[in-house]
Amino acid sequence: MKQLTNLGSEAGKHIILIIGAIVVILPFYLMLSFSFKSPAEIQSISGGFFGAQEMMIDRKCLKTESEGLMRSKEECSMLPIVYNYKAAFEEAPLLRYLLNGVIVTLSIFAIQVIIALPCAYALAKLNFWGRDVVFGLVIFCLLIPVHAIALPLYLMLAKFGLTNTFAALIIPWTISVFGIFLMRQFFKTVPDDLINAARMDGMSEFSIVWKVMLPTAIPALLAFAIFSVVAHWNDYYWPRIVITGDQDLMTPPLGLRMFKSDMDGNEYGPMMAAATVIVAPLVVAFLLAQRRFIEGITLTGMKSR
Amino acid sequence: MSNTRSHIWFVSPAVLLMFLILILPVFVAGTFSFTDYNLGSPDFKWVGWKNYESLGKFSSYKKMFTASLTYVVIVVPVSVLLGLGSAMLISSLRFGGELYKTVFFLPVMATLLAMAYAWEFTLDPVIGVINKFLDDGCSVGWFYKLFTGSWLGFNPTESWYGELCNDRMPNWLGNKKYALGSISFIGIWQAFGFNMVLYLAGLTSVPRDLYAAAEMDGANSPWEKFKLVTWPMLGPTHVFVVTITSIRSFQVFDTVEALTRGGPSKSTYMMVYAMFEKGVKQNLVGMGSALTIVFLGFVLILTLTQVYFINRKVHYS
Repeated sequence: MKQLTNLGSEAGKHIILIIGAIVVILPFYLMLSFSFKSPAEIQSISGGFFGAQEMMIDRKCLKTESEGLMRSKEECSMLPIVYNYKAAFEEAPLLRYLLNGVIVTLSIFAIQVIIALPCAYALAKLNFWGRDVVFGLVIFCLLIPVHAIALPLYLMLAKFGLTNTFAALIIPWTISVFGIFLMRQFFKTVPDDLINAARMDGMSEFSIVWKVMLPTAIPALLAFAIFSVVAHWNDYYWPRIVITGDQDLMTPPLGLRMFKSDMDGNEYGPMMAAATVIVAPLVVAFLLAQRRFIEGITLTGMKSR
Repeated sequence: MSNTRSHIWFVSPAVLLMFLILILPVFVAGTFSFTDYNLGSPDFKWVGWKNYESLGKFSSYKKMFTASLTYVVIVVPVSVLLGLGSAMLISSLRFGGELYKTVFFLPVMATLLAMAYAWEFTLDPVIGVINKFLDDGCSVGWFYKLFTGSWLGFNPTESWYGELCNDRMPNWLGNKKYALGSISFIGIWQAFGFNMVLYLAGLTSVPRDLYAAAEMDGANSPWEKFKLVTWPMLGPTHVFVVTITSIRSFQVFDTVEALTRGGPSKSTYMMVYAMFEKGVKQNLVGMGSALTIVFLGFVLILTLTQVYFINRKVHYS
């Protein structure tokens, strides 16, 4: 009898969680489904998940010429899935956006590490006058939410004529006080003997940071990398402020918005194909290395910005 | 410990950037909030407290505070409780827990702007599956009865769902009655997986023998055990989860900018969006700066409350 009720409660829990999972998955399902289907199927809410994949004619293709001749209908007919993804890459510089996203996120992470690591090492392992003041400053800066300083930062960048540049996308994020805090806590646990041995060998403080401390910090650094890359790949607020109009500088979310505002009538398919391409890298990486991702985002989620 | 001067080279770039990028802007915003400065004009006038006074005077700012607070008051408790609930369900499962955890965490990872558009199409009055589902439900007997409450003896045509069935399904993002609720829903959808993971971590640190002890004290039902052991032992997690969710909800921007632009009739006009609209789009720097300072104040209060509670050591062990 008890076993039966246990089984019943296990089943009940699964039912509740499955309903929750359906709601959570719904927009992902819809995004993928739209990116497969033809405009007609999207308009009439039919065709299931994958659509019927009947050949369709690309009207824009019909209007373009090749070698002086108008294209024929046969040349311009294709599967809806092909049409959607082709349009996503051709009608907007989607590849450019993705490349910009990679450049910006990687530059931000690299600079954050170059600035934060030596500082964290000094705070954890060196004795100097003013160390507590500097650490206090780090803690104080942790309190400042980045949304609150966006407007003045934008004004300062505008004064120097730096809006609409890659520099504007990167500069505000070069200092990660959270990174300093995290790495300092980590370096505290590294034994002093290791550092002293390196000094005995005649290593300079500079090479101790990069050749001794950096390798020991790989796990913490990886968590921080995931946090930093996820945050800046997905960030929309800051790029929206400093990039106005220049498509060559747009990051993926900003590019997607551009795509939407240029969209005529019912290009839901191409639009969702572009969204899928933008969301996919992080989601796939997450599915491959879940534990690391969850660790990275929650451990470093202590930061409120 | 060494007595070289290398620390100067290690610390000064970081300190310099902290001053330039994090601290100086706060003072810049503070200063501009007392002016009528705008980008491009050569000079500006000091206007005293005028910008701050407008915050209390104009109805659009009153609507802004109402919308922001309503959003926080909806999103924080619901996403915290959903996070706790799903964490407890998942941790008590015999199998399949990891799978639900993965699914619920997906929205935390995914680019919010892209997902906002996906939700926009899901909630669309014409091509959206939600309204199609609700529409179809009108002609399905048990579904109609369940949602109109007619199985409890209510008059079906007077209920919310019954009225919609007779009229038409709502425009979730375009109707002033539903827009804030819809934006909040997306906020909850995005946030609760993060809370779930924090609660899952919190739950593993609750000592098993406390449940046995509670049983000996006569707490037999799961609810009593929850009340006596689980809830209080999660004290530090509660404080952390509630503050971080509140701060993040105050910062909501992507969904507002992409889906409603503060409308219809300012019903979703929230603080960070207002800051962006006034300070950047309309180039009313003084007003935007005043909003910035007020926003900073809100976030500082939340953070300091958290510090206060953590220092009080919110566990009962």
